[in-house]
Amino acid sequence: MSWNLEQLLRANAAVDDYKIRSDKTESYELFFVHDKLETTRSTDTTETTVTVYVDHDGFRGDSSFKLYAATTEAEAAQKIADAVKKAGVIKNQMYALPENETLDGVVASNFTEMTPAALAKAMADAVFGAELYAHGSINALEIFVYRHVVTVKNSRGIDKRETKYSAMIEAIPTWNEGESVELYECQRFNRFDAAKVTAEIEQKMREVRDRAYAKAPAEKPACTVVLDAAELAQLIGDIAYDLDYATVYAGSNPFSIGHTVQKEPTGDKLNVTMRGMVEGSVASALFDADGTTLVDTEVIRDGIVVDYCGSHRFAQYLERKTTGRLVCMDVAAGTLTDAELAGKPYFRCVSMSGLQVDVYNDYIGGEVRLAYYCENGETVPMTGISISGKLSAALASMRLSAERTATGNYYGPKLAAFEGIEIV
Amino acid sequence: MAFSAFLESRREDCKALVEALSASFSYVSILGSHVTSSRISVDRRSSNIGEGSLSECGFVIKLSNGGAFMEYSLDDISGDKAELAEKIRSSLVIDDALADRTVKVPLPADEPMVRSFVRESDLGSYSDSDILAFNTSMRDQILAEDERIVNAFVVAMPFTVSKLFVTKNRELDQTYSWVNLNSMVVLRDGEKMVQTYDGTYSHLLKEAMEAFPPVAKELARRAGKLVHAKPIEPGVYDVITDSTISGLIAHEAFGHGVEMDQFVKDRAQAKDYVGQYVASPICNMRDGAASALSTASYFFDDDGVLAHDTQIIKDGILVAGISDLASASVLGTEATGNGRRESYKRKSYARMTNTFFDPGKDKLEDMIASVEHGYMLFQTNNGMEDPKNWQIQCTAEYGIEIVDGKLTDNYVSPVVMSGYVPDLLKSISMVSDTCKVIGSGGCGKGYKEWVRVSDGGPALKVKVKLA
Repeated sequence: MSWNLEQLLRANAAVDDYKIRSDKTESYELFFVHDKLETTRSTDTTETTVTVYVDHDGFRGDSSFKLYAATTEAEAAQKIADAVKKAGVIKNQMYALPENETLDGVVASNFTEMTPAALAKAMADAVFGAELYAHGSINALEIFVYRHVVTVKNSRGIDKRETKYSAMIEAIPTWNEGESVELYECQRFNRFDAAKVTAEIEQKMREVRDRAYAKAPAEKPACTVVLDAAELAQLIGDIAYDLDYATVYAGSNPFSIGHTVQKEPTGDKLNVTMRGMVEGSVASALFDADGTTLVDTEVIRDGIVVDYCGSHRFAQYLERKTTGRLVCMDVAAGTLTDAELAGKPYFRCVSMSGLQVDVYNDYIGGEVRLAYYCENGETVPMTGISISGKLSAALASMRLSAERTATGNYYGPKLAAFEGIEIV
Repeated sequence: MAFSAFLESRREDCKALVEALSASFSYVSILGSHVTSSRISVDRRSSNIGEGSLSECGFVIKLSNGGAFMEYSLDDISGDKAELAEKIRSSLVIDDALADRTVKVPLPADEPMVRSFVRESDLGSYSDSDILAFNTSMRDQILAEDERIVNAFVVAMPFTVSKLFVTKNRELDQTYSWVNLNSMVVLRDGEKMVQTYDGTYSHLLKEAMEAFPPVAKELARRAGKLVHAKPIEPGVYDVITDSTISGLIAHEAFGHGVEMDQFVKDRAQAKDYVGQYVASPICNMRDGAASALSTASYFFDDDGVLAHDTQIIKDGILVAGISDLASASVLGTEATGNGRRESYKRKSYARMTNTFFDPGKDKLEDMIASVEHGYMLFQTNNGMEDPKNWQIQCTAEYGIEIVDGKLTDNYVSPVVMSGYVPDLLKSISMVSDTCKVIGSGGCGKGYKEWVRVSDGGPALKVKVKLA
């Protein structure tokens, strides 16, 4: 844009405040069918979202619109005028924008050491470098390497910019002995470690081999159920994300401060801190969509809700501290060791169609594509089964591993063991 | 609704860029996409009129010389075309080691065609303030239904799509609109809280608004029932599915399963079952942007292929899959107009559009009467596909117990249905004579690439595991 957007916004007398958020994204992407390159993609796009705020009749209204590279100055002026009209009919409780902070930062990453194309190639090599065994193959592979430059400016002196890098590898390890079977492998990270990528693909390849041999048990075991970090992240996330100021303001939060998430706990007590960043996570950020500095906040201590977190606007409504919208989750380690886990039979779900968690209806369950039944040092792969139970009972009995790991926006116990979940 | 003035202003630029890139590539296509969308929301304590999540404006260029495809996404294509063509070429350079191991794909067909398509819409007849006022009145109606309702959210999401597709021989443009009116009700009774949701949809806002009041009333009633819902006793049951759950089965069972880009990757077992029984002989299923007028209806896909109506299962036999241009080229089949992108920034894949079972001959009341003990399932929550190994998981928001052929007042929630796809489809023993296509869905491929889809069908009687 060759014209000055802020000048246009300031020129409209009806605009009491404004916010401009821009995201310039460059990507390099590789798509493989089996081990052959099928598509190469590159993108260079910028999206700008403008929000205007209009104060009227004791209320604050806001309305947002997008601007594109080709938007002309006259079109932008018209969009501002239209947004003013829309904001004029919105009657929200008054609130102020965050003020007077500047920043030009980079979220730590090692992606700058190579060009995006070289990095994507190195990731492909890391995947195809994995031991595939006699019957294994990678039937599909997609690699995305991104560089984002995000800026947030507002009329109250917020002027922030962050550069972030991220990657996603989606691979389909497949076992082609007898009836061919596959598993889904997705890795998202902002720090590339080729050996780690290879190791995770090899682990998934061993699991898909086991899926090929897995059978539905004639008699369903009744024992401890173990969930891995990805499912644990979803389970705890479903609880923690409802502790957002906006959810609380809307009255739709199932848990509130002082509420016991784990009633009569017999296992490890849950401790959750919401953070702006966790090591290696693509969700890590220096500030939120309003430009608010992110403040790590403990939300669950010893199984009891102790705090909420959220945006500057809703913090004001609830008269609480501003933390910014926090999307990374840090869950404290528990006490469960591998040796203790091995001491009795357990059923470890390593691949699910999707864990179903319903905090409203006290439900946890889902279809299991691959699980290991472990007893006395022997491991039997199983498939064609589901798990189902009461969420409250599962949380009360939850044992969290002492070892922690990172996945997605989660850093916490590597696995958790539950009692009272039925294998059906 | 008129075609995007912006895209119209770039029509000649597209042609010029196709020509510039044709010096280096045998196949060049440009898709311009301009989507305007808004989100008008109201709940008990706040409201908003903002930009919708579908809004976008940009171009994607697809190139081929018979090997790997190359794509470049950008915001604008004005300016010097030789310079832009060089920038695109240099951005897509691949490592020599990769260049030696690309697929060999026949060049896509580029049959000559010049056409414009417009679907009439009434979105221009309503201001955002009109829609906000409607949403506010519906919110108030819901809140007045039951004093235990702590909040009611009403959200309108209208959007208008303009797309321009240009190749050496082809020049297509289309404009169409759709609107979803959604509501979620939050009800608290003592310590128990429930959420439930539903909505209306149409290519005409007037229709979506007129259909909304009874849906809002039913939502409030349903929330009052769900707050007393119990967990289901896991087991295998006779089940009657409502249209949303029938649609979810169609979508997860043999929608994803016949996306033919998965055939190319050997990721779909259906590839080996074309011409074979995969379902009960009373089961018929189809997909297509031209199969129904719903949220996934368009005139041509993101590969410039005209919309189709594809019969997938006929009398229980798998007869065809759905394809994008690339998978059809590799497999030597006719592209079915299912090449879709999440946005101009994303790759095109073979994707579902409007996917549903055809109606049968049974009366719903007879179907319920035939169940000694089982459940009728309602309202899609989510589902997950497994085209390679034909496992299926579909989650219904709730079920109602059927005892001795009658619906009881016993609600269970949530209900997770799972099993082996052919077992489930071959267990279909009755199909109702009604059919509804639900135009409010979204679908990912794996866990990404979200596109708008509809699904639905008649009520089905099946035998399946519930937990």
